[in-house]
Amino acid sequence: MPKRKFFIFDCSKAENCCDKSQYNEAGTREKISMLFHLLFCGPCRKYTSRNTKLTRLIKKSKLKTCSEEEKKAWKNRIEKEIAKKES
Amino acid sequence: MPTHKLDPTKWVDKYSDYLFNYAIVRVNDREVANDLISETFLAGLNSKDNFEGRATERTWLISILKRKIIDHYRKINSQKGQAEVRINYSDSENNGDWLEEQVADTFDRTAEDEMENTELGLAILECLEQINEKHAAIFKMKTIDGADTEAVCKEFNISPSNLWVIIHRARTALAACLEKNWY
Repeated sequence: MPKRKFFIFDCSKAENCCDKSQYNEAGTREKISMLFHLLFCGPCRKYTSRNTKLTRLIKKSKLKTCSEEEKKAWKNRIEKEIAKKES
Repeated sequence: MPTHKLDPTKWVDKYSDYLFNYAIVRVNDREVANDLISETFLAGLNSKDNFEGRATERTWLISILKRKIIDHYRKINSQKGQAEVRINYSDSENNGDWLEEQVADTFDRTAEDEMENTELGLAILECLEQINEKHAAIFKMKTIDGADTEAVCKEFNISPSNLWVIIHRARTALAACLEKNWY
């Protein structure tokens, strides 16, 4: 995407701020500047809407991950089984 | 047709989250899901020689897990004894009401929604398999586990600006992949 600059914010900064907002880690000043940028920048508006939709989908999926301990236990079991087969 | 190969040493890193999300919604118990995944990995190792390479590693492991889930329910049902159907309408006035109770409630979409959400979750994990392994792990820790930026940076030994570049790339790739495979 060609970089466009509106109100001290260029597109890469706007995208970065949009990403941070998905995790509630963007500052207020940053967010206001991003909103001004979005008023004039169509591609960034599209990026923001796509990004927000992605966040909504991830939340909706209620994905879970396995803990490191669980993974370690499985790995140990697999390694032991492989070693047993090789010996 | 490309033939797929098995690499059991990478199964946990590559497929455990996928298998776990597949299992947890079907058995609704973390401990049981863990046991079933453990059994799946061991059964996979034992029948490694039967793998013909026509399916992907993940599809093959899922088919083993499916069998394990069916076996799990068979075992529970055999412990419970045979299912009983009781109809407690003794008076003639209420006779026949039980038939209405058997009809599916069209407004109750909870189970269907749950299933759709799980499929969405699996589609997300499938898309994440297509991006760089380290980037996917960083994305999962930050987005699914909700870890702090500082914790993720420390775990993967990267700077915060590096983290946001990785997150940006992962999100862009994921959105494109989901647009293609999900919407």
